[in-house]
Amino acid sequence: MAAAAAFLDIGDLHGWYGESHVLHGVTMAVGKGETIAILGRNGAGKTSTLRAVMGILRKRRGVVRLDGADLLALPPYRIPRMGIGYVPEERGIFSSLTVEENLLLPKQVAEQGLPLDEIHALFPNLHERRNSSGTKLSGGEQQMLAIARILRTGARLLLLDEPTEGLAPVIVQRIGAVIGTLKARGYTIVLVEQNFRFAARLADRLYVMENGQIADVFATSELDARMSSLHTYLGV
Amino acid sequence: MVTIFGVPAAALYGQLLVGLINGSFYALLSLGLAVIFGMLNVINVAHGAMYMLGAFAAWFLLHMFGISYWWALGLAPIAVALVGVVIERTTLRRVAHLDHLYGFLLTLGLAMVIEGLFRYWYGSSGQPYAIPSALAGGIKLPFMFLPIYRVWVVVVSLVVCLATWLVIERTHIGAHLRAATENAVLSQAFGLNVPLLVTLTYAGGVALAGLAGVLAAPIYQVSPLMGSNLIIVVFAVVVVGGMGSILGSIVTGYLLGIVEGMTRVYYPEASSIVIFVIMVVVLMLRPAGLFGREKDSAANASPPIGATQATGMDDKWAAIGALGVVAALIAAPALVYPVFLMKLMCFALFAAAFNLLIGFVGLLSFGHAAFFGSGAYIAAYAAKVWHLDPLLCVLAGTATGAVLGLLFGALAIRRSGIYFAMITLALAQMVYFIALQAPFTGGEDGIQDVPRGMLFGVLDLQHPVAMYGFVMAVFVVGMAVLWRVVRSPFGQVLKAIRENEARAISLGYDVQRFKLKAFVISAALAGAAGGTKALVFQLASLTDVTWQMSGDVVLMTLMGGIGTMLGPVVGAAVVVSLENALAGLEFPITVLIGAIFIACVLLFRRGIVGEVQQWFARLSRVSN
Repeated sequence: MAAAAAFLDIGDLHGWYGESHVLHGVTMAVGKGETIAILGRNGAGKTSTLRAVMGILRKRRGVVRLDGADLLALPPYRIPRMGIGYVPEERGIFSSLTVEENLLLPKQVAEQGLPLDEIHALFPNLHERRNSSGTKLSGGEQQMLAIARILRTGARLLLLDEPTEGLAPVIVQRIGAVIGTLKARGYTIVLVEQNFRFAARLADRLYVMENGQIADVFATSELDARMSSLHTYLGV
Repeated sequence: MVTIFGVPAAALYGQLLVGLINGSFYALLSLGLAVIFGMLNVINVAHGAMYMLGAFAAWFLLHMFGISYWWALGLAPIAVALVGVVIERTTLRRVAHLDHLYGFLLTLGLAMVIEGLFRYWYGSSGQPYAIPSALAGGIKLPFMFLPIYRVWVVVVSLVVCLATWLVIERTHIGAHLRAATENAVLSQAFGLNVPLLVTLTYAGGVALAGLAGVLAAPIYQVSPLMGSNLIIVVFAVVVVGGMGSILGSIVTGYLLGIVEGMTRVYYPEASSIVIFVIMVVVLMLRPAGLFGREKDSAANASPPIGATQATGMDDKWAAIGALGVVAALIAAPALVYPVFLMKLMCFALFAAAFNLLIGFVGLLSFGHAAFFGSGAYIAAYAAKVWHLDPLLCVLAGTATGAVLGLLFGALAIRRSGIYFAMITLALAQMVYFIALQAPFTGGEDGIQDVPRGMLFGVLDLQHPVAMYGFVMAVFVVGMAVLWRVVRSPFGQVLKAIRENEARAISLGYDVQRFKLKAFVISAALAGAAGGTKALVFQLASLTDVTWQMSGDVVLMTLMGGIGTMLGPVVGAAVVVSLENALAGLEFPITVLIGAIFIACVLLFRRGIVGEVQQWFARLSRVSN
């Protein structure tokens, strides 16, 4: 995994919410077509890392490059246009928009996005309920919508922030299947997860965050050997 | 002749039509305000000025270039939109991350500059604008004469309002606007160019006002003040409708226009205040407004106004400062004209009273002229008609301020933030209309030749030294009261409310009671300042109750330093000196005051005293 070839390259990334310093030098490199997961306790900085990449966390320093292009210099609305799809924490469905409008909202960034009929084939419920308000959907449906709307744009890097949070096991399985499909289609995926069993089934590598830094990283194949140290990181 | 409830039917229909016309303008303007507020979180006080600009643009086009009304209908709103783009890009953008009261003050300053300049260039009287020939004349119906142009205005405004609503609710760009209004940060994470949307929204909102201006030009005259009179009524409309809903602001606009027209038929004396009365009733029954959804200050994460101040001086420095001020006041008449100093003290007390609310509770009252002015009227009346002792006159003014403060406060504290400012403004405007019409205030003349009287029956205040001493005593006592309030446990709770209202509630404080008490104290002292002022100048007049007076006191406080003890005094000194220095000039002072407003909001939000305190704090940190 040579850093030079990395698709998403994060180096010594620091970030602040006002006065409080939340990211203390995060470094990671994600290759094209790779799926990685970021694990860690509450407050370790997983979500903040994604928010720093997206420019939602404005006060940040370090390196964030996508395919060699510097993201830190861009105004926030230009960052997704570089080809990043973002599923925020708690899904971020707009309640003043219908399901259809939510689906069509993100800016098209490239040609190779999934066409609408393919999206509807993947998520049939969304088509049936296209005219209801976005937040009238069930939690699972909202999560499907949150993923569906970034597939249409042609983004090649997907940042998924806890896509299984608060969902029933059967829905978690469906989400897992969808992410698996996306992985098979060659998307590069960064998955933030509390649920490491879920993450381990999908990810090629696992990053563990603690105190705003990457504390450990290993390939999923080494998971069994690393189980005890992982429990130390994630245990309470 | 057919009559309805004792009124000729023709008159009724005629007023109904006038009401519908006014309603059309209310709807167009409040729609623009609502759209802008949703996206920018700014109450665009300059909206009235934009309406005026639209009318003037049409007038220019016709008289300078011979361009007809029909072209103006399209060109004038575009011109106003371009002005809007400049305003948003150069000024509003810079205060977007601050408490939205700063946006209010900034647009107020812009309105003052724009309207002041036009008044300077074109005078207060209106310029006529002919009705285009195709729309001239009318239709004679069996029950009334129907002027075609008025029908045209109602139809155009309805079509434009509904089209705007459809664009927002049904189109792709509308979806972008709604998304950015709901969550700007997240919208950017999906690639929406929110800064551009914000600019377009502001431009579109003011273009609606510009269109209203073009439509209004043939009906009313094209005059520099046509907007400032209208905007306060529109604020009341917005409070009644609630700003959550686009359709709500349209419906409320037409509805209130019609109600106003009907009032003109059945009870003409009340027609200028009926909308304000409705606002009061709605506030009591449904504080969020008829169509509103309550969200106002809860979502406001920006630091509260005034909270950026240094924590203040210690007791030793405070005592030295107070003694210094008193010594300076005793020595000053030797150097400066005493009447000027007395005026200064009246306004300093007024500003300090106002500062209690904005600086220590975080509430921007934009109606403090009501307390100041009615204090002045009552004190003047008590002195002239009842021949009361001057001290009793000032106390009567104080009591008036307190009672009015209790009434206004009880209504206004039901809302916070920007709504609070609009409600106090609308209530104060009611007082203005009452002062204009009530028999005892002397209308346009005011109460003149007020006797200063004999203090305790022995000390003739006609003597300058005695009067000076009396004013100084009122000033010192008033400031001491404020000082005591701010430093007391009560004052600490006020500051807690300013910093974090929810937390103060969770600590068990009845926040509303604290706010109301502070409001009453502030209003009472404003009344005392007004009463004293009436005795100093031997005059109580409409100037004392205008919204410009409320604006002046905001400026004094902002300029001197919100939330500091000395700031309002310094600010009052600067503003009063400026007004004195410029009184002889032809150039309108409102332009300068407006420009200072803009400069203060953009550059010196701490004010003079705040900046000095900051400088000292930094100095002492360095030396430590």
